[in-house]
Amino acid sequence: MSATIRIVADSTADIPQELREELGIVMVPLKVHFGQDVYLDAVTITTDEFYAKLEASSQLPTTSQPSPNDFIEVYNGILEETPDAQILSFHLSSEMSGTYQSAVLAESLIEKEADITVIDSKSASFGFGMRVVEAARMARAGKSKEEILERVAWLRDNMRLYFLVDTLEYLQKGGRIGKASALIGSILNIKPILTVDKEGFVASVDKVRGQRKAMQRIVDLLREDFKDEPVGVMMAYSKHQGAATELYELARSHFNVQQVDYTTIGSVIGTHVGPGTAAIFMFRV
Amino acid sequence: MSKRLIDGNDFTNMVNRGADCLQRHAEHVNALNVFPVPDGDTGTNMNLTMTAGRQELLSKPSASIARASEVLSKGLLMGARGNSGVILSQLFRGFARGSASLEQMNSVQFADALQHGVNLAYKAVVKPVEGTILTVAKEAARHAIQSARRVRDVTELMREVHAKAKEALDRTPELLPVLKQVGVVDSGGQGLVYIYEGFVAALEDAPDAGPASYTAAPSAPTVRVPGGPAAAASLGQATAQSRLETGAIEFLYDMEFFINRQLGGGAGRRFDETAFKAALAKDGDSIVVIADDEIIKVHVHSRKPGDVLNLALPYGELSDIHILNMRDQHRELLHDGTVFIEGAPDDSTAMPSIAPDEQHLAEALPELLSGAPAASEPPAVVHELAPYGIIAVAIGEGISDIFLDNNVDVVLSGGQSMNPSTEDFVQAMEALPAEHIYLLPNNGNIILTAQQAAELSERRVTVIPTKTIPQGLAALLAFKDHESPERNASFMQQAAEQVQSGQVTRAVRDSVIDGLQIREGDCIGIREKQIVVAHQELLEACKSLLDQMIGEGGELVTVLSGEEADPAVTAQLTAWIEESHPEVELEVHSGGQPLYPYLFAVE
Repeated sequence: MSATIRIVADSTADIPQELREELGIVMVPLKVHFGQDVYLDAVTITTDEFYAKLEASSQLPTTSQPSPNDFIEVYNGILEETPDAQILSFHLSSEMSGTYQSAVLAESLIEKEADITVIDSKSASFGFGMRVVEAARMARAGKSKEEILERVAWLRDNMRLYFLVDTLEYLQKGGRIGKASALIGSILNIKPILTVDKEGFVASVDKVRGQRKAMQRIVDLLREDFKDEPVGVMMAYSKHQGAATELYELARSHFNVQQVDYTTIGSVIGTHVGPGTAAIFMFRV
Repeated sequence: MSKRLIDGNDFTNMVNRGADCLQRHAEHVNALNVFPVPDGDTGTNMNLTMTAGRQELLSKPSASIARASEVLSKGLLMGARGNSGVILSQLFRGFARGSASLEQMNSVQFADALQHGVNLAYKAVVKPVEGTILTVAKEAARHAIQSARRVRDVTELMREVHAKAKEALDRTPELLPVLKQVGVVDSGGQGLVYIYEGFVAALEDAPDAGPASYTAAPSAPTVRVPGGPAAAASLGQATAQSRLETGAIEFLYDMEFFINRQLGGGAGRRFDETAFKAALAKDGDSIVVIADDEIIKVHVHSRKPGDVLNLALPYGELSDIHILNMRDQHRELLHDGTVFIEGAPDDSTAMPSIAPDEQHLAEALPELLSGAPAASEPPAVVHELAPYGIIAVAIGEGISDIFLDNNVDVVLSGGQSMNPSTEDFVQAMEALPAEHIYLLPNNGNIILTAQQAAELSERRVTVIPTKTIPQGLAALLAFKDHESPERNASFMQQAAEQVQSGQVTRAVRDSVIDGLQIREGDCIGIREKQIVVAHQELLEACKSLLDQMIGEGGELVTVLSGEEADPAVTAQLTAWIEESHPEVELEVHSGGQPLYPYLFAVE
């Protein structure tokens, strides 16, 4: 029997809690700051509580990465339980957050002999959450680390994500607008079609006017990649599900959808995209 | 009078009279607009174009017809506004090529030059339409070529050319159905006929042969053009100025005035132009006299302004008298620091000691033209060029703001009621430190001007031929900063074609077009290039136009309210769209455009 594989992910993978618990994924929370108050993402603040607070607060929250020590405690905890564990630790794009750096530093500070692989997902939210879920399922099925990493790399190349924000204000204020910033005016209701590019930056692939045209454009873009192939879909939303539902209803009629699920965008990603965001993650199955 | 040869001076007189004749009739040409919209501007555009050409020609007179026509061509090219203005400039650019190296030209050469003009003008237009100024010019030139074999007298030939042009003009409604429908002849063609009419008049009045009708002083300032005495300065003049010593200006009073022949003691007295000019020439130079039955315009540089006025008084009342001391002007010009060193006189202590580069010259030019004192600016700093820049034409503060908010660097004011000139584009491009420039004309009548400016510019320029504001906005949103100009041009063009444009204005006269009965004052809705609705009520006209546009399919409706929009109507219209077309998204913005209460985009 091969070594036990344990999966670690930070909270920005936006994996629903039940699924996380069912698959034994160890979650390391990032932090959300409302003024002096600090909350642990998905631990001391739920998604609903976060959006309620966001609405009530005059001040935009900020976020911070877990400390190296947070990771050291998690890694050590796993290694105490299962000394021969191989750890796969998946993290938010290093272009958006220092979380990956923190994990890398923690790994180097672990004193015991340990097999820890820290992965820069170069993505965000379910864009890498999906890979984490798949890795956890494969680990349960007894697959090797190599098999899992190969599969995860394949998934990365066979998944597309697009998202629409209600307003660019949050991306701009949080400084996570990446390559999407320069060209978007604010007078007309211009909807940038946003994605996370291969390097892990938020990028705008196109911009159109109006929400409906934006959704149609996303479907067109996805058609270029997936045509009539069987696909899985994960929809994510912040606060309101309406836009995500509308986007899925439009997409459903254009694709051979084998499975669909919805998840909420957690408080850290939510801080940077704002309420009313709708995201679609589509992948080959 | 008969003339077997014409030279640069004759040509200058012709252009002068041609421009005058066009100017007098500019309103009539405007009124020939096919659509009864309030911004018929062919006359205005051609007149401004011709005025720019005349201004250039009069500031650099030459006895050589090759040189004179070349100078005119340059002035027209830079001053060209609107499609007819551009075509006009191409006609004379071709004429200049046809007259290359000739000091004087005979009838055959004249005809040949006209034909050169036609050839070039046809080339300048992507899809030449018959029944327009092009046809008028073409038939006139063709007739000239045939006639010149037997007609040696250029005056006679020009008479025939004019007659033929008039004939062709009268036939334009047969060639272009829309003209016939509305019952007008082509406006641009009419403009050309007026210019030719002036040509004929100039040749008929000209002295038989011999020396020029006035003394040409190359590269020296001569005539003040409409717009006041200060308006005629030019780059060439400035250069010449710097080589001149102030004291060397002999005929130092630059005079311009009008004699009104209907008023005053001398009213109705016979005017002998040749004798009058001869009298002026005794103590003056740079003489230009333009006479018709009512008004005589006089320009002269003289030592004794009192004598000049006394000479003029017997023919009528004098008005608009401008007298400038050119030595003063020259001293100022030298002082401004806009002048150039070569052969500089000693009293120009404030002059910069750096030879200005092209860029600097271009910057100095508008100030000289506007007559404003040119500030002594430091030499232009060479900035690093941005990879691209976008220039859009728009009118209305709100619309300009939208363009600027969406990555446009410069909004050139203009559009439905005022078309920018080639030079406006060229200057805007010179001032924009970008390697590649995109131009969005946003009006069908500005595309040719933009293309002409693009050819003249040394930058890499891509004209996206947008015909309306909605098309311009759609094209702009399709722009991607990391794409090549070729691909961007294609994306932007495609995007422009995806949007439907509508505009609402008031009819300025009764008309019947495409079976639609239009009364003066009606609100008319124009969809792309066609009037599709006329209604007394603004709201009803808007509804009907929008129904037709949305009926073609659309997800997003944009309303741009103009200066003359009524907030109550805007509110009613918005409510109506939301109720009767719940499937579309709606955006309402204040555009601030004149004359058109509403612009609509459906996409």
